[in-house]
Amino acid sequence: MILENLKLRCYRNLTEADIAWNEHFNIIYGQNAQGKTNLLEAIYLLGHLKSFRGARGNELINHAEETAWVGAVVTQGVVKHRLEIGLQKNGRNPRIDGKTVQKLSQFLGYFRTVLFTPEELSNVKGFPAGRRALLDRAILQTEPAYLDRVQEYDRVLRQRNQLLKQQADDFQLAPWTEALVRTGSRIRHDRQVYLKRLLPHFCQVYREIGGGQESAGLNYSIEQMPLEQLTAHLAGALERLALREKKLGLTLAGPHRDDLDFLVEGRSLRAFGSQGQQRSFLLAFKAAQVMDLEVQFKEPPVLLLDDLASELDNRRQEGFFNFLLNRRGQVFLTSAQTPLLTEPVLQTGSFFKVDQGMVTATSPERG
Amino acid sequence: MLDSIPSFARLVAELAKFPGVGNKTATRLAFFLLRQPKGQAEALAGAILDLQRNTRFCSVCFHITEQDPCALCCDPGRDATLLCVVEEPQALLAIERSRSFKGLYHVLHGALSPLDGIGPEDLKIAPLISRLEQGGFQEILIATNFTVEGDATALYLAKLIQPLGIRVTRLAYGIPMGSELEYVDEATVNRAVEGRRDI
Repeated sequence: MILENLKLRCYRNLTEADIAWNEHFNIIYGQNAQGKTNLLEAIYLLGHLKSFRGARGNELINHAEETAWVGAVVTQGVVKHRLEIGLQKNGRNPRIDGKTVQKLSQFLGYFRTVLFTPEELSNVKGFPAGRRALLDRAILQTEPAYLDRVQEYDRVLRQRNQLLKQQADDFQLAPWTEALVRTGSRIRHDRQVYLKRLLPHFCQVYREIGGGQESAGLNYSIEQMPLEQLTAHLAGALERLALREKKLGLTLAGPHRDDLDFLVEGRSLRAFGSQGQQRSFLLAFKAAQVMDLEVQFKEPPVLLLDDLASELDNRRQEGFFNFLLNRRGQVFLTSAQTPLLTEPVLQTGSFFKVDQGMVTATSPERG
Repeated sequence: MLDSIPSFARLVAELAKFPGVGNKTATRLAFFLLRQPKGQAEALAGAILDLQRNTRFCSVCFHITEQDPCALCCDPGRDATLLCVVEEPQALLAIERSRSFKGLYHVLHGALSPLDGIGPEDLKIAPLISRLEQGGFQEILIATNFTVEGDATALYLAKLIQPLGIRVTRLAYGIPMGSELEYVDEATVNRAVEGRRDI
């Protein structure tokens, strides 16, 4: 998977850009607040249709403008596709090869990326929602139809919560509970299947990156079981929680309340982990995602690294860059200073300077 | 600019209320009407008034009709043991076009959606149940839409009808006729596989 070029119009502070990329290493550098992360965000948007900074559509448009546009040519296997996203104040208009898509999920899968950003470190330690988001975004890159299932569940959940708030009787609640059980157990199943596939990659890479002998694990808050049992399990939980749900006016069981626990030596990283362990963990989780995508699609995904060098100590940085160098795929990285790069990167990479929203290809400047 | 021609502006504003019609289309339509012979505009206005004046909902099935009960409800050739429940009159017309169903109908005028404040009392559910209680029906085919709300409405009705001892069926999911599997979206293929049957 290669991003051949990228054109931007009125995207945040990047008013106009037309960039041809290197098929291996792309180093985006410049002072802070010039637009480096905006550029990375635009690339991410092509793969996820969402900002990784939680920004809504209209925040992506330059304040002086009404609309913005992101266009790119990507190569998938041997085929090139033209991807475009028109951004208006009230929505997005994604197109593939000039054709408008019927469903957003059709757009996903044309350009698979894995993002590494220090902002996500807080997810490892923070609220369960952050960890669910990490997991769900990873699944979406392997299975676009997962988006339809998540959207369906979300709709059922909101309808059911509304009824609970209104103190509706059991009879009115029943069809929504049934729909919640059907769609919710399906999402739990998807998540478990994915984690099971990810785990061996994850354990291997955690040891390589961390360089230590610690054993690592991923634990989903619901025990693994076949889909039919998951369905019965969720139905049973909702039955037990029925009284409390009515009191609180909220759905209290389902994939929207599950958690993903990161374990080191069998202990939860949330409670006991050091900063260093949390970083290694996030990197290993992402790296495992990369390895899984390579196995699933016989092609490496594009890696997006946002200001990562500043967050890692030298030893981890070295281990991590070694991991990257051994991949065949395309890499984009942003950095305020020219990062500590090894010779192969300097030799084969391309450098792009971002200054006040202008992007220019340059030769490497050693910082 | 339009403000200087109040009668033109008024028509544009009225037309722009139509579904799928914005200001630009409304203006185009208004210019079209402006250029029509006088009789044409009167015919259109008359048709709109007639529609409002002459149609109402059938007191039995709640389909649109000019006579009450409607022609479908009065047709002795239809199977009075079979009842099809739909969300909107448009859905009824779609099934009628297919000529695949020979029973009677019941239009709910919507689907359950708590977020939009639509509960059972806002739909024609109570008249449906009293219709069923009068007896005679052997099967109820629920043909609500295949949306989250349509599915929930179907489940709700099924539970409500169950004590009456009448068979309840749901329209099958599946692959559209004449389409090739590779072009069908995954959710539809998924449901078609789940709903497979012996041949």
